[in-house]
Amino acid sequence: MDILDIQQTASTPSIRFDPATNTLRLVGESYPENSFDFYAPVISWLTASLQQLSELTLDIAITYMNSSSTKCTLDLMDIMEEAYARGVRTAIVWRYDCENPRSYDLAEDFREEVSFPFDIVALGK
Amino acid sequence: MDLYDLRKDFAESGIMMCFNGPFSHSIIEEIGIALRNHLAAEEIAKAAVLDVFAVYIELAQNVRNYLALREITQSEANSSIITIAHWGDGYTVASGNFILNSDADTLCTRIEEINNLTPEERKRQYREQMRREPAPSALGAGLGFLEIAKRSSAKMVCSVRKIDDIYGFFSLAAFI
Repeated sequence: MDILDIQQTASTPSIRFDPATNTLRLVGESYPENSFDFYAPVISWLTASLQQLSELTLDIAITYMNSSSTKCTLDLMDIMEEAYARGVRTAIVWRYDCENPRSYDLAEDFREEVSFPFDIVALGK
Repeated sequence: MDLYDLRKDFAESGIMMCFNGPFSHSIIEEIGIALRNHLAAEEIAKAAVLDVFAVYIELAQNVRNYLALREITQSEANSSIITIAHWGDGYTVASGNFILNSDADTLCTRIEEINNLTPEERKRQYREQMRREPAPSALGAGLGFLEIAKRSSAKMVCSVRKIDDIYGFFSLAAFI
Protein backbone atom coordinates (compact mmCIF):
# COMPACT_ATOMS: atom_id res chain seq x y z
CA MET A 1 0.00 0.00 0.00
CA ASP A 2 1.39 3.41 -0.96
CA ILE A 3 2.06 5.92 1.77
CA LEU A 4 -0.29 8.89 1.74
CA ASP A 5 1.11 11.99 3.37
CA ILE A 6 0.00 15.39 2.04
CA GLN A 7 1.20 18.47 3.90
CA GLN A 8 -1.24 21.16 5.00
CA THR A 9 -1.31 24.58 3.28
CA ALA A 10 -3.60 27.59 3.85
CA SER A 11 -6.10 26.28 1.30
CA THR A 12 -5.56 22.52 1.47
CA PRO A 13 -5.79 20.11 4.41
CA SER A 14 -3.14 17.70 5.57
CA ILE A 15 -4.10 14.18 4.53
CA ARG A 16 -2.30 11.37 6.29
CA PHE A 17 -2.92 7.68 6.81
CA ASP A 18 -2.03 6.10 10.14
CA PRO A 19 -1.51 2.37 9.49
CA ALA A 20 -1.47 1.62 13.23
CA THR A 21 -5.13 2.56 13.57
CA ASN A 22 -6.19 2.31 9.90
CA THR A 23 -7.26 5.93 10.08
CA LEU A 24 -7.13 8.42 7.23
CA ARG A 25 -7.02 11.93 8.72
CA LEU A 26 -7.97 15.17 6.98
CA VAL A 27 -7.10 18.27 8.99
CA GLY A 28 -7.29 21.95 8.05
CA GLU A 29 -9.28 23.87 5.47
CA SER A 30 -10.17 22.91 1.93
CA TYR A 31 -10.51 25.43 -0.89
CA PRO A 32 -7.84 24.30 -3.38
CA GLU A 33 -7.14 26.01 -6.69
CA ASN A 34 -8.61 22.90 -8.34
CA SER A 35 -10.36 20.52 -5.95
CA PHE A 36 -10.60 17.71 -8.51
CA ASP A 37 -6.84 17.75 -9.09
CA PHE A 38 -6.11 18.00 -5.38
CA TYR A 39 -8.35 15.09 -4.37
CA ALA A 40 -7.56 12.81 -7.36
CA PRO A 41 -4.58 11.09 -5.63
CA VAL A 42 -6.62 10.69 -2.43
CA ILE A 43 -9.46 9.06 -4.36
CA SER A 44 -6.99 6.69 -6.11
CA TRP A 45 -5.28 5.85 -2.83
CA LEU A 46 -8.58 5.18 -1.05
CA THR A 47 -9.92 3.01 -3.89
CA ALA A 48 -6.75 0.88 -3.92
CA SER A 49 -6.41 0.67 -0.12
CA LEU A 50 -9.98 -0.45 0.41
CA GLN A 51 -9.20 -3.49 -1.74
CA GLN A 52 -6.60 -4.52 0.87
CA LEU A 53 -7.79 -3.28 4.25
CA SER A 54 -10.51 -4.88 6.32
CA GLU A 55 -11.27 -1.64 8.13
CA LEU A 56 -10.74 2.08 7.62
CA THR A 57 -11.85 5.17 9.51
CA LEU A 58 -11.98 8.54 7.81
CA ASP A 59 -11.35 11.19 10.47
CA ILE A 60 -12.30 14.64 9.20
CA ALA A 61 -11.46 17.87 11.03
CA ILE A 62 -12.00 20.42 8.28
CA THR A 63 -13.16 23.76 9.60
CA TYR A 64 -14.07 25.15 6.19
CA MET A 65 -14.54 23.53 2.79
CA ASN A 66 -15.57 25.20 -0.46
CA SER A 67 -18.36 23.80 -2.60
CA SER A 68 -16.15 21.79 -4.97
CA SER A 69 -14.44 20.17 -1.96
CA THR A 70 -17.84 19.00 -0.70
CA LYS A 71 -18.28 17.19 -4.03
CA CYS A 72 -14.86 15.52 -3.64
CA THR A 73 -15.66 14.57 -0.04
CA LEU A 74 -18.86 12.91 -1.22
CA ASP A 75 -16.79 10.97 -3.79
CA LEU A 76 -14.57 9.67 -0.94
CA MET A 77 -17.66 8.64 1.02
CA ASP A 78 -19.12 6.84 -2.01
CA ILE A 79 -15.94 4.75 -2.31
CA MET A 80 -16.22 3.86 1.37
CA GLU A 81 -19.89 3.00 0.98
CA GLU A 82 -19.07 0.63 -1.85
CA ALA A 83 -16.36 -1.05 0.29
CA TYR A 84 -18.77 -1.27 3.23
CA ALA A 85 -21.20 -3.17 1.00
CA ARG A 86 -18.39 -5.69 0.37
CA GLY A 87 -17.84 -6.18 4.10
CA VAL A 88 -15.05 -3.69 4.79
CA ARG A 89 -15.65 -1.99 8.15
CA THR A 90 -15.67 1.67 7.17
CA ALA A 91 -16.53 4.55 9.48
CA ILE A 92 -16.36 8.33 9.59
CA VAL A 93 -15.60 10.61 12.49
CA TRP A 94 -16.50 14.20 11.63
CA ARG A 95 -15.08 16.81 14.02
CA TYR A 96 -16.83 20.17 14.00
CA ASP A 97 -16.14 23.47 15.68
CA CYS A 98 -18.96 24.32 18.15
CA GLU A 99 -18.78 27.95 17.04
CA ASN A 100 -19.43 26.95 13.45
CA PRO A 101 -22.93 25.45 13.15
CA ARG A 102 -22.59 25.09 9.36
CA SER A 103 -19.93 22.45 9.79
CA TYR A 104 -22.36 20.40 11.89
CA ASP A 105 -25.16 20.87 9.31
CA LEU A 106 -22.82 19.79 6.52
CA ALA A 107 -21.90 16.66 8.50
CA GLU A 108 -25.58 15.84 8.95
CA ASP A 109 -26.17 16.22 5.20
CA PHE A 110 -23.27 13.88 4.48
CA ARG A 111 -24.45 11.36 7.06
CA GLU A 112 -27.69 10.96 5.10
CA GLU A 113 -25.63 9.83 2.10
CA VAL A 114 -24.05 6.75 3.72
CA SER A 115 -25.17 3.70 5.64
CA PHE A 116 -21.96 2.95 7.60
CA PRO A 117 -21.20 4.41 11.06
CA PHE A 118 -20.81 8.20 10.96
CA ASP A 119 -20.04 10.01 14.24
CA ILE A 120 -20.28 13.76 14.56
CA VAL A 121 -18.23 15.02 17.49
CA ALA A 122 -17.27 18.47 18.75
CA LEU A 123 -13.66 19.44 18.01
CA GLY A 124 -11.27 19.01 20.87
CA LYS A 125 -13.31 16.21 22.45
CA MET B 1 -1.89 60.00 -9.94
CA ASP B 2 -4.16 61.23 -7.17
CA LEU B 3 -6.07 58.31 -5.67
CA TYR B 4 -8.05 60.40 -3.22
CA ASP B 5 -11.31 60.39 -5.23
CA LEU B 6 -11.14 56.64 -5.72
CA ARG B 7 -10.51 56.18 -2.03
CA LYS B 8 -13.41 58.54 -1.20
CA ASP B 9 -15.77 56.49 -3.43
CA PHE B 10 -14.70 53.37 -1.57
CA ALA B 11 -15.34 54.97 1.80
CA GLU B 12 -18.77 56.23 0.73
CA SER B 13 -19.73 52.77 -0.52
CA GLY B 14 -18.59 51.21 2.76
CA ILE B 15 -15.93 49.17 0.97
CA MET B 16 -13.48 47.71 3.48
CA MET B 17 -11.40 45.73 1.02
CA CYS B 18 -11.15 45.58 -2.73
CA PHE B 19 -9.01 43.83 -5.27
CA ASN B 20 -8.94 44.75 -8.93
CA GLY B 21 -6.75 42.83 -11.35
CA PRO B 22 -6.20 39.30 -12.62
CA PHE B 23 -7.23 36.72 -9.96
CA SER B 24 -4.63 34.08 -9.24
CA HIS B 25 -5.08 31.36 -6.66
CA SER B 26 -2.39 32.87 -4.44
CA ILE B 27 -4.06 36.29 -4.54
CA ILE B 28 -7.44 34.75 -3.69
CA GLU B 29 -5.80 32.92 -0.78
CA GLU B 30 -3.90 35.96 0.54
CA ILE B 31 -6.89 38.30 0.38
CA GLY B 32 -8.98 35.63 2.09
CA ILE B 33 -6.52 35.45 4.98
CA ALA B 34 -6.41 39.26 5.25
CA LEU B 35 -10.22 39.38 5.16
CA ARG B 36 -10.55 36.93 8.03
CA ASN B 37 -8.01 38.82 10.12
CA HIS B 38 -9.86 42.04 9.43
CA LEU B 39 -13.26 40.55 10.37
CA ALA B 40 -11.86 38.89 13.47
CA ALA B 41 -10.82 42.36 14.64
CA GLU B 42 -14.43 43.57 14.23
CA GLU B 43 -15.46 41.07 16.89
CA ILE B 44 -18.34 39.46 15.04
CA ALA B 45 -19.42 35.84 15.52
CA LYS B 46 -17.04 33.26 14.13
CA ALA B 47 -19.88 31.77 12.07
CA ALA B 48 -20.49 35.15 10.38
CA VAL B 49 -16.78 35.56 9.63
CA LEU B 50 -16.81 32.16 7.93
CA ASP B 51 -19.96 33.04 5.93
CA VAL B 52 -18.35 36.22 4.57
CA PHE B 53 -15.16 34.30 3.85
CA ALA B 54 -17.05 31.44 2.17
CA VAL B 55 -19.03 33.78 -0.08
CA TYR B 56 -15.80 35.59 -0.98
CA ILE B 57 -14.09 32.29 -1.89
CA GLU B 58 -17.02 31.03 -3.99
CA LEU B 59 -17.32 34.33 -5.88
CA ALA B 60 -13.58 34.63 -6.49
CA GLN B 61 -13.13 31.00 -7.57
CA ASN B 62 -16.25 31.20 -9.76
CA VAL B 63 -14.80 34.22 -11.59
CA ARG B 64 -11.41 32.59 -12.01
CA ASN B 65 -12.93 29.31 -13.24
CA TYR B 66 -15.30 31.09 -15.62
CA LEU B 67 -12.53 33.15 -17.27
CA ALA B 68 -10.39 30.01 -17.61
CA LEU B 69 -13.26 27.94 -19.02
CA ARG B 70 -14.13 30.61 -21.60
CA GLU B 71 -10.44 31.27 -22.25
CA ILE B 72 -10.88 34.97 -21.62
CA THR B 73 -7.21 35.86 -21.28
CA GLN B 74 -6.80 39.22 -23.02
CA SER B 75 -5.49 41.59 -20.37
CA GLU B 76 -8.41 43.96 -19.84
CA ALA B 77 -11.03 41.21 -19.95
CA ASN B 78 -8.98 39.03 -17.60
CA SER B 79 -8.98 41.75 -14.94
CA SER B 80 -11.75 41.27 -12.38
CA ILE B 81 -12.84 43.01 -9.22
CA ILE B 82 -14.02 41.83 -5.83
CA THR B 83 -15.23 44.04 -2.99
CA ILE B 84 -16.12 43.42 0.63
CA ALA B 85 -18.22 46.18 2.15
CA HIS B 86 -20.26 47.01 5.22
CA TRP B 87 -23.98 46.62 4.58
CA GLY B 88 -26.24 47.75 7.41
CA ASP B 89 -25.21 45.64 10.38
CA GLY B 90 -23.73 43.05 8.07
CA TYR B 91 -21.58 42.74 5.00
CA THR B 92 -21.87 42.52 1.26
CA VAL B 93 -19.42 40.70 -0.96
CA ALA B 94 -19.52 41.40 -4.70
CA SER B 95 -17.58 40.32 -7.75
CA GLY B 96 -17.39 41.82 -11.23
CA ASN B 97 -15.91 40.23 -14.33
CA PHE B 98 -16.10 40.10 -18.10
CA ILE B 99 -18.42 37.49 -19.56
CA LEU B 100 -19.36 36.54 -23.08
CA ASN B 101 -22.60 38.29 -24.03
CA SER B 102 -23.90 34.88 -25.07
CA ASP B 103 -23.70 33.72 -21.41
CA ALA B 104 -25.53 36.71 -19.94
CA ASP B 105 -29.07 35.32 -20.08
CA THR B 106 -28.09 31.89 -18.75
CA LEU B 107 -26.25 33.42 -15.78
CA CYS B 108 -28.97 35.89 -14.83
CA THR B 109 -31.73 33.32 -15.24
CA ARG B 110 -29.83 30.87 -13.02
CA ILE B 111 -29.33 33.49 -10.30
CA GLU B 112 -33.01 34.39 -10.46
CA GLU B 113 -33.97 30.69 -10.23
CA ILE B 114 -31.74 30.11 -7.20
CA ASN B 115 -33.04 33.28 -5.52
CA ASN B 116 -36.56 31.87 -5.69
CA LEU B 117 -35.80 28.42 -4.24
CA THR B 118 -37.00 27.53 -0.77
CA PRO B 119 -34.22 26.28 1.56
CA GLU B 120 -35.50 22.70 1.03
CA GLU B 121 -35.45 23.05 -2.77
CA ARG B 122 -31.99 24.57 -2.60
CA LYS B 123 -30.74 21.69 -0.49
CA ARG B 124 -32.22 19.18 -2.95
CA GLN B 125 -30.62 20.91 -5.93
CA TYR B 126 -27.28 21.02 -4.12
CA ARG B 127 -27.50 17.29 -3.48
CA GLU B 128 -28.49 16.54 -7.10
CA GLN B 129 -25.65 18.70 -8.41
CA MET B 130 -23.13 16.98 -6.08
CA ARG B 131 -24.25 13.65 -7.54
CA ARG B 132 -23.83 14.84 -11.13
CA GLU B 133 -20.65 13.91 -13.00
CA PRO B 134 -18.78 17.13 -13.76
CA ALA B 135 -18.08 17.85 -17.45
CA PRO B 136 -14.50 16.87 -18.37
CA SER B 137 -13.59 20.55 -18.84
CA ALA B 138 -15.23 21.66 -15.58
CA LEU B 139 -13.02 23.42 -13.05
CA GLY B 140 -15.65 23.50 -10.35
CA ALA B 141 -18.55 21.37 -9.27
CA GLY B 142 -21.28 23.81 -10.40
CA LEU B 143 -22.25 24.37 -6.77
CA GLY B 144 -20.94 27.92 -6.27
CA PHE B 145 -24.15 29.91 -6.74
CA LEU B 146 -26.12 27.48 -4.52
CA GLU B 147 -23.45 27.75 -1.82
CA ILE B 148 -23.51 31.57 -2.00
CA ALA B 149 -27.32 31.58 -1.79
CA LYS B 150 -27.20 29.32 1.27
CA ARG B 151 -25.01 31.80 3.11
CA SER B 152 -26.64 34.99 1.83
CA SER B 153 -29.28 36.50 4.11
CA ALA B 154 -30.91 38.41 1.24
CA LYS B 155 -31.46 37.56 -2.42
CA MET B 156 -28.38 37.77 -4.58
CA VAL B 157 -28.28 40.74 -6.94
CA CYS B 158 -26.79 40.49 -10.40
CA SER B 159 -26.48 42.76 -13.41
CA VAL B 160 -24.85 42.72 -16.82
CA ARG B 161 -23.58 45.79 -18.62
CA LYS B 162 -22.85 45.42 -22.31
CA ILE B 163 -19.27 46.39 -23.20
CA ASP B 164 -19.05 45.55 -26.92
CA ASP B 165 -20.28 42.90 -29.37
CA ILE B 166 -18.43 40.11 -27.55
CA TYR B 167 -18.19 41.04 -23.89
CA GLY B 168 -20.42 42.15 -21.08
CA PHE B 169 -19.53 42.97 -17.49
CA PHE B 170 -21.23 40.74 -14.92
CA SER B 171 -21.68 41.94 -11.33
CA LEU B 172 -22.93 39.66 -8.57
CA ALA B 173 -23.49 40.58 -4.93
CA ALA B 174 -24.45 38.56 -1.87
CA PHE B 175 -25.36 39.79 1.61
CA ILE B 176 -24.35 38.42 4.99
